[in-house]
Amino acid sequence: MSEYNKPLPLVTELSKHFYDGCKQGELLYQKCDDCGQIVFYPKELCPACMGRRLSWRKSNGKGKIYTFTVTYDAAPPEFATDVPYALALIDVDEGFRMMSNIVECDFDKLRCEMPVEVVFDQITPDIALPKFRPSEPDEQ
Amino acid sequence: MKSISGKTAIVGIGEVPTGHFPDRSFIKAAVDVCEMAITDAGIPKQDIDTVIPIGVVSNPLDNTNVICSWLVEELGLGKTAKSNFQVMSGGSSSANSLKVASALVAAGLSKAVLVVHCDRMGTGLDLSAAISMFSKASINQEYEMPYGFSQLALAGFLQQRYMYETGTTERQIASVVESLRKWAALNPNAMLRKPKTADEILQSKMISSPVRKKMMNILADGAAAFIVTSSEYARDLTDTPAYVLGIGSRCTSFTVTAQPHFDCWQPAVDGAYHMAGIGPGDIDVAEIYDAFPTFILISMELLGLCEKGKAGKFVEDGNTSPGGRLPVSTNGAMMAQGHTGAGGGMAILVEAARQIMGKAGERQVQNANIAIETASGGIGMDFHVGVLGKEGQ
Repeated sequence: MSEYNKPLPLVTELSKHFYDGCKQGELLYQKCDDCGQIVFYPKELCPACMGRRLSWRKSNGKGKIYTFTVTYDAAPPEFATDVPYALALIDVDEGFRMMSNIVECDFDKLRCEMPVEVVFDQITPDIALPKFRPSEPDEQ
Repeated sequence: MKSISGKTAIVGIGEVPTGHFPDRSFIKAAVDVCEMAITDAGIPKQDIDTVIPIGVVSNPLDNTNVICSWLVEELGLGKTAKSNFQVMSGGSSSANSLKVASALVAAGLSKAVLVVHCDRMGTGLDLSAAISMFSKASINQEYEMPYGFSQLALAGFLQQRYMYETGTTERQIASVVESLRKWAALNPNAMLRKPKTADEILQSKMISSPVRKKMMNILADGAAAFIVTSSEYARDLTDTPAYVLGIGSRCTSFTVTAQPHFDCWQPAVDGAYHMAGIGPGDIDVAEIYDAFPTFILISMELLGLCEKGKAGKFVEDGNTSPGGRLPVSTNGAMMAQGHTGAGGGMAILVEAARQIMGKAGERQVQNANIAIETASGGIGMDFHVGVLGKEGQ
């Protein structure tokens, strides 16, 4: 594997658990055992009821693009040689939104509400970044 | 809650041109705008007992120094000032400073408050440092930074979804920039004063789709200041105070993913109208915080100045341009006046006061009795609305 020069996720207690899941091919999110709130990005406290009993669940990895952008220029310096690349906010089926890249697709065909599914990009031995690709064959 | 509506006023303003001024020192620009605001107000300087210097982004040392009373010394306020402290909330620092200043005055804790912003975003840090900063500042490190997100990509996200939901065209969005450039042409302090048509803007390079190069703001050096005092004292000082009639605020989230929708900002708008005792139909001029053109359209709709999804057509039809039915962002906003960091909202707030004071020169809006102004910080972490008017308590 060639050297990876882009920013790596900041690893905290919570994000380590999330990225450990990614390494196993699982997209994890939290649910509050007290009030049932879906919690993402992972948090210490439930933002709805302030409860601390947050348990981890496994997402089916499917969702829809809420919005997206394709960056052609003025990217963060570490991404300058990657342009063009697609960024999106994805509404995941279980009821949370996350940011990611859209890969394995024709950028001209990207649209809001497009169905996508997670794929894991093993960027370093320790970190697999969840990314998304179109999930319907005619859109790939 | 007891309203402070009409009990305080902006009595003096100062501003130097925004742009690239490598030879203009930080302290000169800062002192110049303070002196201008004091002179404009006609206030004895010893009455200024509180100084609020907005955060300096381009140079941490300048920021530390203004926190540590640099301007108090330079202005000779050392024997009379009670407080010198910072209110920092990124682009909404102006709105929050106005709120704090008004509250201090209304509570009798301050006689007059000087709020000052100075930064050198255009020449104080090089371009790659600036791009790097805006790809890191207020961006989540655990789950977002690894994807190459930036504040520019945020503008792409907003515009894409807004166009999808409302059917607003790219040309209508470009017409926002066209309108701002027309205002900037009348503003000697603006950076980008050359007119640009919507077609020219649409021909510029795609940067982060659907945002094109000419839909981006430009980082610049700038400085502005204003003075807040009680309405009672304001009337002794000047015939043209800009009374603070309404203030409304909402904070939402750190990450853009956690924002349910812009509708969550509606209480900020409603709060400001409620406090001022007015509605959208009373607005004579709107000074709207931008950074990117879609932000102006979304804000116009939140403010009730246009129906949902209709702001683009409204702008394209010329309503917001000079001579239009509802002048919007008459200084050219950050898109044309220039983006000065945490002070982006300052120029917009100062322009709102300037219009109410009748001091806007060639771009003065006739019968400008009530102005509304907005500000926001970070990745849309908050939204603030202020209402200024000619009649106070």
